[in-house]
Amino acid sequence: MQASAVEIQKVNKYYGPFHALKDVDLSVPAGKVTCLIGPSGSGKSTLLRCMNFLEEYDSGEIRIDGRLIGYDAPGRKMGGRALREMRRSIGMVFQQFNLWPHMSARENVAEGLLRVRGLPKAEASARAADALAKVGLADKMDNHPSRLSGGQQQRVAIARAIAMEPRLMLFDEPTSALDPELVGEVLTVMKTLASEGMTMVVVTHEMGFAAHVADRVAFMERGELVAADTPDRILHQPQDPRIQSFLRTYHERNSF
Amino acid sequence: MDLLQQYGPALLRGFGFTVLCWALGTIFGMGLGLLIALLRHYGPRWLCWILQVYIEVIRGTPFLVQLFVLYYGGPLIGLRLDALPAGLLGLTIYGSPYFAEIFRAGFRAVPLGQLEAARAIGMTEASIVRRILLPLSMVSALPALINFSIILTKETVILSIITVPELMYQVSRMSAETFRYVEANLVLALFFWGLVETISRLGRRFEARVTKHLIERT
Amino acid sequence: MFSIPVFLESLVPLFWAARYTLLISVGGIALGLVIGTLICAARLSPSRSLRRFGAVWVSFLRGVPLLVQLLVFYYSLPLIGVDVPAMVAAVFTVGVCASAYISEIWRGAINALPRGQAEAAVAIGMTPADVWRRVILPQAVTMSLPALINELILLVKASSLVSVVGILEITRASQAQAATTFRPLEVYLAAACIYLVINLCLAGLGRWLEHRTAV
Repeated sequence: MQASAVEIQKVNKYYGPFHALKDVDLSVPAGKVTCLIGPSGSGKSTLLRCMNFLEEYDSGEIRIDGRLIGYDAPGRKMGGRALREMRRSIGMVFQQFNLWPHMSARENVAEGLLRVRGLPKAEASARAADALAKVGLADKMDNHPSRLSGGQQQRVAIARAIAMEPRLMLFDEPTSALDPELVGEVLTVMKTLASEGMTMVVVTHEMGFAAHVADRVAFMERGELVAADTPDRILHQPQDPRIQSFLRTYHERNSF
Repeated sequence: MDLLQQYGPALLRGFGFTVLCWALGTIFGMGLGLLIALLRHYGPRWLCWILQVYIEVIRGTPFLVQLFVLYYGGPLIGLRLDALPAGLLGLTIYGSPYFAEIFRAGFRAVPLGQLEAARAIGMTEASIVRRILLPLSMVSALPALINFSIILTKETVILSIITVPELMYQVSRMSAETFRYVEANLVLALFFWGLVETISRLGRRFEARVTKHLIERT
Repeated sequence: MFSIPVFLESLVPLFWAARYTLLISVGGIALGLVIGTLICAARLSPSRSLRRFGAVWVSFLRGVPLLVQLLVFYYSLPLIGVDVPAMVAAVFTVGVCASAYISEIWRGAINALPRGQAEAAVAIGMTPADVWRRVILPQAVTMSLPALINELILLVKASSLVSVVGILEITRASQAQAATTFRPLEVYLAAACIYLVINLCLAGLGRWLEHRTAV
């Protein structure tokens, strides 16, 4: 058994009476790409957001590199400093990019290096430039987000995350807010990251990406983790009728 | 207790005038504002321009100064008004540009397609305004209309300065005769606070009813 | 008939009185910014009683006519032993009143920021102080600038009410002049003109700021 970067055990989450995550177990292998798929409202984004404790889970355990996130011990919340410490090594990319509109692309990327890692300004700026070059935006560094296309904005957001040199990257439907013709450039960047051995957890509706890039695919429905296995066994030979029906709908919608 | 007996009727009368000024001022102001908004929407360019200047001038000057011009300056050009009609006219004029702008924003918020659909089935412009434009613009305009009407309740106290015998005027007279300035004004403050809070609550309820089918609930 | 010379003649002293109008409205907005920011912080704070206090503060000051507030303060300050010049009382009242509106402007701007803005900062491990200082406040301030200018315009107009406590700002000065010249129409129109010029300038400034920040 290979080392897990994220180990999730019996995680439950409630929104008032609504049971959003039901006894979810999942282990994310280090250096691999894990895709979370499933119908909307199935809890996959919630689960992802629990992994850096942007969303608090109510019971169970989520361990990042063996360390419990969000709680010092069951029932006792982690202090802000310790939590920030852990989040530093977890990069996150959002569906809506969430770039800060009052900063240029380069400032967006440098901000975390400057404020969180405490690097001197020149070095933060240089590293930001490197990260932006890596996502193919060396020529757009001084543009503000409003002057960038959706695909470019999302690539800046990825650069912002990788500049922090995380050990784990979380992607929350990174291409769902993009026009179809801009999806490719973002997926390409993500593929490059994957090939470099980054541990990635990706919530996505892009089945093609899941099939070709993922090492593991987990299917969720109604807050339950139905199955987690190789892409082939989930996407091509699904056993569970819930997965079969989901894929049928997906194929019908995407065929013409 | 004596005070209440002595001044009660006057205060009640004052309150009556306050409500009267507010209600008529709001109705007339809203009417004039709607007229201005429609004229700007459908009228010729030169008229739009004149109305724009009117709006800027009224919005750029204090209500009190407008009242002074009207009440004290009016007679010089033959406009001789008693305090109450001058106050009402002043309130109407003062409110009209704000109402006009609220209506205009409301018109603009109506999707063009809704109006095109009405034109496509051959409705006249007049009935489009009445049946489509006005009701739909209410969705976005109503909260602002209610809000500004509430603001106008507070402006009525300024009418006391040109001796309209509304509540504030009566309270000032009373406090001048009894030297109880602080108590009188404090009571007046609490009274207005209660009034404004109540109207706001009612307004929100009314708003929820009128726009029930027009706003998609999430 | 309307006399243009009288109109022009009254412009000069009224223009001079405008400095008090400006002093009251600018002083009012400055004080309003300080108190309004505190009230906004109270309304966004985790403490229930602070939130309640902020809500009552805003509701009271927005529900009571400024003229009434002015008289309450003017008459009650000496009672509690505070003997201040009318001018100070006026700036104080206008500022306290403005604080209610300004706190709502701040709150509106902060609430209008997408949640993801703060989340992105939290996700890379920024401290709450940095999230506010670097991400939320810069955006909220730029967003609020036009509304703050608008508030200043409202204060310029509202400052006409302090004429009732005897401060010789534009309105009071025009009353005095109307009484001596017996030409109220020209004098009050002149006063209106000065207010209009001040406010048109401010509105222009507001539009410029809005345009600049929209880019």
